[in-house]
Amino acid sequence: MTSYSNQTSSAARFTSFLRNYYIYFVLVAVVVLLSTANLDQFALFERGNFLYKRNIINILRVSAPLLVMAGAFTLLMVSGYIDLSVGSAMSLSAVVYAMLAINGVPFIPAFALTVLVGVLLGAVNGFLVVRLNITPVIATLITLSLFKGVALLLVQDGVSAIKSGNFLKIPGWFNDYGRAKVLFDLPAAFWVAVAVTLALIVVQNRGKLGKYAAATGGNPTAAKLSGINTGRTVFLLYVIVGASAALAGIARSSFMSLGDPLSGDGMELTAILVVLLGGTAFSGGEGKVLRSFVGALIIMMLTVGMLTIVPAYYQTLVIGSALLAAAASNHLVSRKGKES
Amino acid sequence: MTGPQTHTVLSVSGLTKDYPGVRAVDDVSFAIEGGTVHCLVGENGAGKSTLVKMLTGALDPTSGSMSVNGNEYTPNSPQDARKGGVATLFQELHVVDELTVLENLTLGMERSWFGFLVKSELEERAVKTLAAIEPSIDPSARVSRLSVAQKQIIEIARAASSGANIIIMDEPTAALSEREVERLFGVIRRLRENDVTVIYISHKLDEIFELGDNVTVLRDGKHIVTKPLADVDGRSELIEMMIGRTVFQSYSPRGTVGNKVVLKAQGLTTSLLKDVSFDIKEGEIVGFYGLVGAGKTEIARALYGADSFEGAVDFKGKPVGRTPTAAIASGIALVPEERRTQGLFTNLTIRENIPVMNLPRVSRGGVFKAADVQDAAHQYVEQLSIATSSIEKHTEKLSGGNQQKVVFAKCLFSNAELLLLDEPTRGVDVGAKSEIYDIIKDLADQGNAVAVFSSELEEILGICDRVFLMFDGHLQEEIPNGPDVDISHILNVVTGGQESVAQ
Repeated sequence: MTSYSNQTSSAARFTSFLRNYYIYFVLVAVVVLLSTANLDQFALFERGNFLYKRNIINILRVSAPLLVMAGAFTLLMVSGYIDLSVGSAMSLSAVVYAMLAINGVPFIPAFALTVLVGVLLGAVNGFLVVRLNITPVIATLITLSLFKGVALLLVQDGVSAIKSGNFLKIPGWFNDYGRAKVLFDLPAAFWVAVAVTLALIVVQNRGKLGKYAAATGGNPTAAKLSGINTGRTVFLLYVIVGASAALAGIARSSFMSLGDPLSGDGMELTAILVVLLGGTAFSGGEGKVLRSFVGALIIMMLTVGMLTIVPAYYQTLVIGSALLAAAASNHLVSRKGKES
Repeated sequence: MTGPQTHTVLSVSGLTKDYPGVRAVDDVSFAIEGGTVHCLVGENGAGKSTLVKMLTGALDPTSGSMSVNGNEYTPNSPQDARKGGVATLFQELHVVDELTVLENLTLGMERSWFGFLVKSELEERAVKTLAAIEPSIDPSARVSRLSVAQKQIIEIARAASSGANIIIMDEPTAALSEREVERLFGVIRRLRENDVTVIYISHKLDEIFELGDNVTVLRDGKHIVTKPLADVDGRSELIEMMIGRTVFQSYSPRGTVGNKVVLKAQGLTTSLLKDVSFDIKEGEIVGFYGLVGAGKTEIARALYGADSFEGAVDFKGKPVGRTPTAAIASGIALVPEERRTQGLFTNLTIRENIPVMNLPRVSRGGVFKAADVQDAAHQYVEQLSIATSSIEKHTEKLSGGNQQKVVFAKCLFSNAELLLLDEPTRGVDVGAKSEIYDIIKDLADQGNAVAVFSSELEEILGICDRVFLMFDGHLQEEIPNGPDVDISHILNVVTGGQESVAQ
C-alpha cells in the first residue's frame, strides 16, 4: 500500500525515462521507416528519398495547422478538460478569414479579427463548461455542431467555400502566409506555430497558468483548497485553445487559398491523438507541450506518407488504430508511474 | 507544559449546531492554549466532527462564537480558515501528485510577474519549514513518488509555511504504519517547539497520552471537560469521561440461538484485516464492534465477495464463491454502509428496487411478471411497515429509515439466510431505529443468522448475542453479551488498550 522510501527503483526510473523520451524514439523510428521505404513510384515524394529537402518542407507546410493547435490543446488536457469543437472553430475561423480577405480587409486587421473570433469561440466553450457546469464532452459537442453550422451559413448557397470568383478576388497575401518561403524555405504559418509552441512551453514550465493547469488536472480539490481559481484557469485555457484553433484556420485557408467550412472536420480527433501520443494523461495532470508538438510531426509524416502508400479511404481506420495504440500505451505508462 | 506564559489562541463559547431533530453540538465552550497539542476525544456521534467542521468553515454554527488570537473568527470555507491562521489536515490527501514537492508547498501562493512565476522568499521559507520538520524529503522530488505519510507531511509543511499557527489533524494516523506514526509524532513535536498549536483528533487513546498536552472530552454534543492530560488518571478515567455512566443496556437474551454453525470464516486477510477468524450460528445475531477504520466494513465486504481476500469462508459447509453474485446465490445478503450510493437505486421506485437481487424469482423465460413484482412490493411494504403512500414512490423521496427498510426488503427478497448489516441504523431516526431492531430480531427468531457491523455501542449491546471486538484489522476478543458486560473493558479493547485481559 505505502512505500517506505522515496528511492526510485531502477524499474520506476526506466518507466519515467520511457515516459519522458519515448516520443523522440518514435519520431526517429518513423523517419527511418519512411526514408528506407521504397517510395519511388509516388509522385508526391521526390524520387528516392523521404529525407529530401522538398519533402520535408512540404510536410512541415501542411502540418502548420495541427502544430499550432497541439500546445494549447495539451495544456487544456493537462487540466483534465477537453475541447471537441476545435475542428469546427478552425473551419469557422477559416471562413471568416477568407471573407474578410475577399472583402478587402488588409492582412493585419483580418488576421487579428480572426484570432479574436477564435478567442470568442473559446470563451463560449469556457462559459458552457465553467459557468453552466456542462460536462466538457457534451458542451463542446454542442459547440462543435453550432460553430460548424455558423460556418456553413456564412458561405453562400450553392457554393462550397469562400474563394476567388468573378467579382471578388482573394488577394495575393492570403496565400503567402501559408506558402511563401520566409525563413529556411518555410512559410510564416509554420514559424507562427513554432513561436506559439515555444511560448506555451515557457507558460507550462514557468507560468502560473501552466502550474495551475497541472494542479487542476492532478487534484482539483487540492487546487481549490489552495485558493486556486480553477474555473478561471479552465476558462483561460479554453480561450487559448480557441485562439489557436483560429490560427490553425488561418493557416489552413491560406494554404488552400479558400475558406472551406468543412476544412477543420475531424481535427478534434487528430488533436486528441497527437496529445495522447505525446504522453499526456487523459485524466489530466500529466503532459508536455513539446512532446505533443513532436507527436503532431509524427502524425503528419505518417498521414502524408500514408497518402502515398495506403489508399485514402484506409486513413481514418489507421488514425483510429493509432489512437487506440496511443491510448493504451498512455494508460500503461501513466498507471505504472503512479502506483508506487 | 511548554512556555512559562500561556496564552489562548483559539476559543469557542456557547457553540451550538442544530440539525433537524438533533443537536449535534450543544453549547460547547473551551479554550486552547498556544503551542500545545490539544486533543479532542469522544465516542462516535459525540460531536467531534461537527465541531471540527465549524472550526474549518465547512459548517456554520447555529449559535455561539469562535475567536482566534483574540479576534472574532467566522470562516466560510477552508480557505477562509487558512487566512485566519487555521489550517486543516483532512483525512483524504490534498496534494497534487503530478507536481514536485516544492511546487506543492507553494501552490496557490506563488508570486508572479505578468503571469510568470518568480522566485520569492516564500520558496525559501517552504524549504526551510520542510527541512525543519522532515529533512529526509527532497523538495525537487515528484510527489507521486512519496508515500502516504510523506504526502501528509508535505501538507503539514505547507500549512506551517503558509503562516498557519493552528493546525487541525483529524485522525491523521488512520492510514499510517507504526513507523510512519512515530515519524508523524516527531513532526508534530517539532511543530509544537515552533509555537504551532495542533488540534489532534483521534480514537486511539494511546496516541493521545503519548502526544497530547491538554484534552477536551465531548459526549452527546456536550462539553464534558478540558484539562491537562497530566491530570488525567490513565485510560480508564478518559474512557469514563467519554461514556459517562449512562450506557443504555436493553439486551434480553433470546432463546433461539441454535448450535449449528452456519458460517465459518478462517484467516480472513486483506490489506487491512489480519487473520480474522470467527463463526456465526443459526438464529444468532453477532455484532462486530470497533472504531472507524478497525475493519468492520472490510469483513462484511469480504464475506459478501465484494472485495478480494485471503482465507476461507464456508457457509453451510460449502465454500462461498468470491463474487456478490455467488454470495447471493448461496444465501448471503449485504445491507451496505452507504445506503444511498450502494444500497438503493434511488432513481427507481420501491416496487422496482425490491426484486433486483433476485429477478429470476419473479421471472419466467427471462421476462418478469409485473403482477408478482407488485405483490412482492405490497407484501414487504406491509411486513416491514414501510411508511409510503404508494409502492410507486421513488426511493430518494423516502426518509432514511424507510429507505433502509427497502434495502432490507431487497435482501429478504433474495431469500438470504445470512444477513450482513453494515451500520444498519446510520442516519435513521429513533423511531425507525427500534423498528429496524425489531425486524432484525424477528429475522433471527426465524432461524436466520445476522451479523451487525456497527460503531455504535448501544446498538451492538442492544441486540447482539455475541460481540466481536475489532481494533486495527485484528479481531481482538469475543465476548458474550449479557447484563454484566463490562463496557469500559470493551472501550479499552477497541481503542487499542494493550493491557486487556485475554479471555
